Amino acid sequence: MMRQTWKIAQWEIMRNLRNKQFIIGLLITPLIMLVFAGLPRLLERWNEPQMLTYYVVDETQSIMDSGLTLSNVELKIHTGGSDSAEAVVRDTDATGYLVISAEFLKTGEASIIYQHRNHEGVAVLQSVLTNVLQQARVQETDMDREQLVYLTSESSVVAMAMEDADVPDSHGIVVGIASIVLVFFLVFSSGTMLMQSALQEKRDRMAEVVLSSISSSNLMQGKIIGHFLLGILQLGFWLLLGLPAVIYLLDFPVLEALASANLPLIIFFVLGGYLLFSAVFVGIGATMEDLQSAGNSQGLVIMIPMMSFLFIAPVVQNPDGIIAQVASIFPITSPVIMIMRAAITRVPMWQIMASAVALGITVVIIGMMAAKIFRIGMLMYGKTADMGEIMKWLRYKDVG
Amino acid sequence: MEGLDIKQIRKEYGAKCAVDSISFQARAGEITGILGPNGAGKTTAIRMIMGITAPDDGEIQFSLNGTTYPGVPKSMVGYLPEERGLYKEARVIDVLFFLAGLKNVDKAVIKERAMTWLAKFGLEDYATSKIEQLSKGMAQKVQFIASILHQPKLIILDEPFSGLDPVSQDVFKAEIRELANQGATILLSSHQMNIVEELCDRIFLIHQGREVSYGTVQEIKEQYGNYRVIVWAHQDIHEVVSLPSVAHYNQPGSKRWVLTLKDGVRPADFLASIPSTATISELSIARMSLHDIFVKIAQGGINDETDLEDSPMGNHAELA
Repeated sequence: MMRQTWKIAQWEIMRNLRNKQFIIGLLITPLIMLVFAGLPRLLERWNEPQMLTYYVVDETQSIMDSGLTLSNVELKIHTGGSDSAEAVVRDTDATGYLVISAEFLKTGEASIIYQHRNHEGVAVLQSVLTNVLQQARVQETDMDREQLVYLTSESSVVAMAMEDADVPDSHGIVVGIASIVLVFFLVFSSGTMLMQSALQEKRDRMAEVVLSSISSSNLMQGKIIGHFLLGILQLGFWLLLGLPAVIYLLDFPVLEALASANLPLIIFFVLGGYLLFSAVFVGIGATMEDLQSAGNSQGLVIMIPMMSFLFIAPVVQNPDGIIAQVASIFPITSPVIMIMRAAITRVPMWQIMASAVALGITVVIIGMMAAKIFRIGMLMYGKTADMGEIMKWLRYKDVG
Repeated sequence: MEGLDIKQIRKEYGAKCAVDSISFQARAGEITGILGPNGAGKTTAIRMIMGITAPDDGEIQFSLNGTTYPGVPKSMVGYLPEERGLYKEARVIDVLFFLAGLKNVDKAVIKERAMTWLAKFGLEDYATSKIEQLSKGMAQKVQFIASILHQPKLIILDEPFSGLDPVSQDVFKAEIRELANQGATILLSSHQMNIVEELCDRIFLIHQGREVSYGTVQEIKEQYGNYRVIVWAHQDIHEVVSLPSVAHYNQPGSKRWVLTLKDGVRPADFLASIPSTATISELSIARMSLHDIFVKIAQGGINDETDLEDSPMGNHAELA
């Protein structure tokens, strides 16, 4: 029996590997990813910091002895008034000019009139002026600059886990996030391909011929396994291309991170998540006549895996909170949320076990329901079944 | 008996009974026709025979070389479905490898047989073509090859001739007959009654999930096809239509009468009983054709007088 399942899996893999669209997708996706993920970083590397020039109309005469070194902001003292400063800024295409009025030391208020908007420049000037203001006022109180620095210094907090706390390190988090991406990729990319494969087999009227040779559960299992392997193959290919890029661009210790992640847990929940949702997708695919005729109910079912998204933010904020605990045990959200929690906090063993058992049972139940729907749906031609009909199929005692 | 033995199989879907306790046999070396109008339960019956769905009740046995199997082993079934299609983007040879591979045939054997069959149908140059590049008739031949490549002992052909040109039809007919001669049990479903009449040794008629009739073509014609007499005359033929051997008659034209003879009345006896005074200008006697029997069954008997024009009536009480 397993041999027949494997033949189907092989066929699904070979059919896709021979398919132009699949190959184009395989090659183009990393290019697109490179463009979207890599390019901004590369551009940032090549992008020289822009020099900002501000003219300063300083009625207090205090700016020159501020003593601040400014990396990309150049201050030029303008000896004339505001009107001539504006003309100079226009002529020299400077960023703008700063007016420090005589009242500045009392009010602390200054104004920047800009020709080119630049938030960074404003921020730098503000810190310069703050410094000038503080120094001027310190002089009034006979305090020296060292004392000022001493008084206004900021605290610095380092967060460190206790040695026996067994909290995952930051590399583990990256692996956790990568695993979540993996779950979503497998579910949505492979899941959609799986659904289409069931649909296509129905549309090409091959379901009956194949089912005259093997059982429907073998066919369904073969499809699920085949598309899982295809998904892994795709990812493997992309990783092979992408890993050197990631190491070069992000300077990230990949092997170290993999070693520090909880791999058995990740593998279990990635697999469990894929099996759960692929069963749903393949079952749904079998109820449809074509993709266009997918009804609202089918659309809703396809959205089920997205539920995890709702919980990501609350779980990151409070990984040990009640929402995180429930979402990491509830089987529909658990594949994503458990991987995530395990990456950022120490999940109690009983919760991991409860979540694993719940997911395992759900996979079996949903798998059986999907098999029943698949068996009837694959042999039904001519229309897309509605929810009522699908419920009716599920109630048939013996469909086989 | 070697071959397929169907005993009282039944299948319900919810409240609807798709197949209602039907029984028939398909013998090895014979071609058995399974006929019935659309929705009669043929597809459900075929699916049960192939083991795609299980009957709610009843038994399916398959006997081969002295062994009787409960149900037909999947490796022994070859199936050509009515609605044809193949994996469109796949190559001909790959599809044949895949489908015969599912029947556990060795790769080298598949290749050899595939090439022989493709050559037989003049498709040897298309082995590596994609299915979508083939014409409809070519694809149909490929699918026929796929259904028999593993040398099945039970071959189920659903509308094998639809869409084929007359030359290809003859090739198919010859191949199907040859497969039967080699000992395969063949179940053939078709709406082309002339071909069924020509090819089938036995016929099983099904309507609304129930058996209507089962027997050889001749037996069925004898059972349902009472003799039909068409008479042309210039004057009224009251003395003919009122003969005791006439079951009923009607007059579709002013000079034309259609008479249906009673069960068991032979043509010679009827002719001998016609009074010499009758002014008949033309007369023909023939059995109801399989086509007409089928139409009659599909309509659930004949209720409308106009049907008699083309579809002479038989004993429709039995069909109701």
